[in-house]
Amino acid sequence: MAKAIWKYIRKDRQAAAGCVILGAWIFLAVLVPFFGPYSYTDQNAAIQNQGISILHWFGTDKFGRDIFARVWYGAGISLVIGLASALINGCIGAAYGAVSGYAGKRTDLILMRAADIIASVPSMLYVILITLVLGAGVVSMILGLCISGWIETARIARGEILHLKESDFALAARLGGASPFRILIRHLLPNASGPILVNVVFLIPQAVFTEAFLSFLGVGLAAPAASLGTIIREARTQMLLYPSQMICPLVVLCVMLLGLNMLGSALERRFGRPEGGG
Amino acid sequence: MARYILKRILTGIIALFVLAAVTFFLVRLIPGSPFQSAATSSSVVEAVEREYGLDRPLFEQFLSYMGKLLRGNFGISYSNPGVSVTEIIWRTWPVTASLGTAALVVSLLAGTGLGTLLAVSKSRGIQRIISGGAMLASGIPGFALAVILLLVFSVRLNWFPSSGLSSPLHYVLPVTALSLYPAAVITRLTGNALRAELQKEYVLFARAKGLGETRTLWTHAMKHACRPVLGYIGPASAFLLTGSFVVESIFTIPGIGREFVNSITGRDYTLILGLTVFMGTVVIVVNLIADLLGAWLDPEMRRAYRES
Amino acid sequence: MSILDVQNLRVRYHEGKADGDVLKGVSFSVEKGETVGIIGESGSGKSTAMLAVMGLLDAKARVLSDHILVGGGKPCPGKNIAMVFQDSLNCLNPSVKIGRQVAETVRARRKCSRKEAALRTEELLDTVGIRSPKLRMEQYPFELSGGMRQRVVIAIALACEPQIILADEPTTALDAAVQAQIILLLKRIVRKTDTSLLLVSHDPGVTAALCSRVYVMRKGQMVESGTAEDVFYFPKEEYTKRLLGDRIGKGYKAGEEPCGDPLVCVRNVTKEYDTKEGIYDISLDIGEGETVAIAGESGSGKTTLARVITGLLEADAGHLYYRGQELDGSLRKTLGRGKFQMVFQDPYGSLNPVLTAGQALDESLRPIVRGEPALRRRKVEAMLALVGLSAKDAGKYPSEFSGGERQRIGLARALIAKPDLLVCDEALSALDTRTREQILELLKTVREKERLSCLFISHDLHAVRRISSRVGVMYGGRLAELGRTKDICSDPWHPYTRLLLDAVPKADPVRAGRFRGAVAEERGTEKRGIEKEGRGCPFAANCTYAMKCCAEEMPGQYSFGDRQVSCFLYSEKHSGRRAKGYTMTSQI
Repeated sequence: MAKAIWKYIRKDRQAAAGCVILGAWIFLAVLVPFFGPYSYTDQNAAIQNQGISILHWFGTDKFGRDIFARVWYGAGISLVIGLASALINGCIGAAYGAVSGYAGKRTDLILMRAADIIASVPSMLYVILITLVLGAGVVSMILGLCISGWIETARIARGEILHLKESDFALAARLGGASPFRILIRHLLPNASGPILVNVVFLIPQAVFTEAFLSFLGVGLAAPAASLGTIIREARTQMLLYPSQMICPLVVLCVMLLGLNMLGSALERRFGRPEGGG
Repeated sequence: MARYILKRILTGIIALFVLAAVTFFLVRLIPGSPFQSAATSSSVVEAVEREYGLDRPLFEQFLSYMGKLLRGNFGISYSNPGVSVTEIIWRTWPVTASLGTAALVVSLLAGTGLGTLLAVSKSRGIQRIISGGAMLASGIPGFALAVILLLVFSVRLNWFPSSGLSSPLHYVLPVTALSLYPAAVITRLTGNALRAELQKEYVLFARAKGLGETRTLWTHAMKHACRPVLGYIGPASAFLLTGSFVVESIFTIPGIGREFVNSITGRDYTLILGLTVFMGTVVIVVNLIADLLGAWLDPEMRRAYRES
Repeated sequence: MSILDVQNLRVRYHEGKADGDVLKGVSFSVEKGETVGIIGESGSGKSTAMLAVMGLLDAKARVLSDHILVGGGKPCPGKNIAMVFQDSLNCLNPSVKIGRQVAETVRARRKCSRKEAALRTEELLDTVGIRSPKLRMEQYPFELSGGMRQRVVIAIALACEPQIILADEPTTALDAAVQAQIILLLKRIVRKTDTSLLLVSHDPGVTAALCSRVYVMRKGQMVESGTAEDVFYFPKEEYTKRLLGDRIGKGYKAGEEPCGDPLVCVRNVTKEYDTKEGIYDISLDIGEGETVAIAGESGSGKTTLARVITGLLEADAGHLYYRGQELDGSLRKTLGRGKFQMVFQDPYGSLNPVLTAGQALDESLRPIVRGEPALRRRKVEAMLALVGLSAKDAGKYPSEFSGGERQRIGLARALIAKPDLLVCDEALSALDTRTREQILELLKTVREKERLSCLFISHDLHAVRRISSRVGVMYGGRLAELGRTKDICSDPWHPYTRLLLDAVPKADPVRAGRFRGAVAEERGTEKRGIEKEGRGCPFAANCTYAMKCCAEEMPGQYSFGDRQVSCFLYSEKHSGRRAKGYTMTSQI
């Protein structure tokens, strides 16, 4: 599977572009905060609201903090939130969907009804409530994203398992006396991994987007922690005077989302199920 | 069919109950009192809390809240005593609803139109432009777009007003900001579904029996291709509703989204609670309608439920 | 002048590649009122040629030809030329009513009003033998049976009022009995409307039954052509002989006679399904080392029976016995799994795509041989050798094998668990003629070597004859007839068995010309008031011998020696008393 993905990425230009963007993102998010000359929290009254210059590539904000350092620190936080929540959601969703699909009958009905009910409320509302209760922070953000984020993965996993469960090779394995767990792990899940993987990849940009959105509203991360959303929010008060303070993190955010979406849809073309094909 | 509708409505009601309960307890768990500020003494806070019934056991509060909810009473705003949540909803909802409906219609029209073009176009150039554009558009968060639109078109160029929602011209920027992402998603959905549909054998057969391309497209392929789009209306309306939080704040539109953001920053318990429950209800109802519409379009499903 | 004249047709995919040519210059023609056949293996380019003539190949294909003429002019789909596709479920739009799908064709052709089109639609549906067309017009494709849908497709082709109809495998997806009806229908239409017909098929039997002239196609070229008699009786090419090979000239060799105690006894087993394919009151013995076949069309419950016996499904009622002991959940547990193994129909779906052949076999071996990886590997290699593959193949994934090779792996996977009973569920149906032959031979040798009991499920009576000693014929979830294969195939007693045997057209133009397929087709079930879902015999509605009791009562199993039949024709109560010592013979 991993080999197939790698081979495909090398062949598909869109997937390659997405990977390059993602790679550059990780590279800068690690490099700039650790090795850059400026810290994301250092305030310097002497250089407030500077424009783009050689010293400060993205300029400085109203406290004289270097925006370039802040943006990449924030990008790192966004990535951590995106990856962590996608991973957790992917695992919960795959397990839940697999169990539901394999068990079938009443169990399936009850589990999927429960999922329907959780999913019928916009996930944004959950995240807002959780951050209000637990206080703003990375952990409560991830927790909030994991309340209903796994449901789509679960539905996809369930659909795949339901379909694969009836396949001849699964029947052959049952005749051979394999345990349900072994059938699930060895025969069904590996064959369902393509669509599940595609879905999990798409969860990353969704989580990054939600985080930025909420931080922008002021309910996401709290100062001094910086994410792309909070940086954009801080710049908003003076966006008419210093638009570059806002534009720079916005562009970085958009490019990141674009890269992730490109990777996702390239993988979808190869490993996903065709639209409407169940 | 009737059984299906009943089942879906029942699920919707349970979902509403769960939503109300979860929201209620979560809101009560939020640390800090809405009446706490540096100026007021603790005895005053206690007095006010007693006044609002916040000193009673949580479960009792919950029961009385649910009782009021059933009668359509969302309670009274904490930070704005004298104004009921219902009143606020009545005042703000029509604004958001009109904005949201406009955005939904725009994204549906643009999305299905571009998606169809994407699927039927023979030119690789057009295909690349549309699919690339959709990809790009789905990567731009609504709030980023809103800010950029505001900066460029109302601040720099001064073509469109920057706040309020009093004339059709006021709608242009917020609707664009709201509908770009759903339009991109619908374009991709329609394009993929239609392309898959056009490769099916019944389309080939329709051509073989001498139907023109347009007829084949409209009477045959479209019927199936619009199903995933219908399925997306529910998520799209949830997206538009949450999108209105920022878009209304940025364009200073007096809608429910801005009210919600204000209620969060103002820690207005009943308002957060009331608005969450209300918005949840809206999304659940829209989902229900979209589902029923989808089921009605599918003859196989219609028959299955007619028989059972 | 020819109605259809195609000269030097070439079709190329992937411009510039050496092997991109799918058609390498084929020419054929059809005269007015003539029925011409094109036969060839799957992948020989027949369907591509038809779509190229229609001008319906997608943009990636490059079509070149000296000329393609229909009635002297250009081919214009829906006007002078129409096509019937193989799969009626896919080629009718699932969410548009039948009536509208026919009527829109009428309107596209005639430019008439809706009302006229509706009338014409009714007329057309009547022509293709659909009873109560008004009712059918309001239905959706999935509400109709396969045969009925194919009739609708033919009606749509007729609505085009073409000079020629191209029929691409029009009966392949259908059961034998329905296939016979469609063949008769096509014959009648050609005669009545004087439309020419070009029939594309891989089945020499169908071609022989319909066509007066035949082209043989192979790898994008015409290798032979001539009158049906010439081609079928005196084939010149090796390829043609091979195509016809399995149908003529090969007699059947009965399998091993039953011996010893029965390995598995099935007694009055019933399993109802919410859909169809249920089985009712089935009793059957499978002896040690014996091969029993179950024949019947799809939906007759064969697969359900197989799954109940193997324990994949639990029976609702009735008993199963294994070597005399009742086979319930606890016995299955103590026996350990793997005593009953299956070989499946679809060579593509029966192997897990993420496991190599070796891993797949190993998975099957795991419950029996624990630990000892070296021993397991040796066993896997030995088993691969037994089914005619090499040890090297153990490392390959299913996608690297051909259909026949996959079926060998499927067989190996079943055999490696040392089963007592091997169930082959349509194991040969998805394979082409030559591979089918090889797998059948393999199955026979393996069966003898391992002294296996075998339950062989197939709709193909030819294969059944060659491998089984006894056969049960199933219809509508019930056992219509059970007995020695030799007896049943040469002298059927149950009307359905008769139909099943007759419905398979022979690759013999003279005999096939008289082909009538003893079918109660046009008799319409509604007219006689025999409802399909009634309490009576499931076959009553289609049976030429149906009596009043058939619709009202379920016939019991009537035994005569080693033969059982479930039909009132053999019951004393309904067909009169018999003298003592009377030897029962076929009543039909």
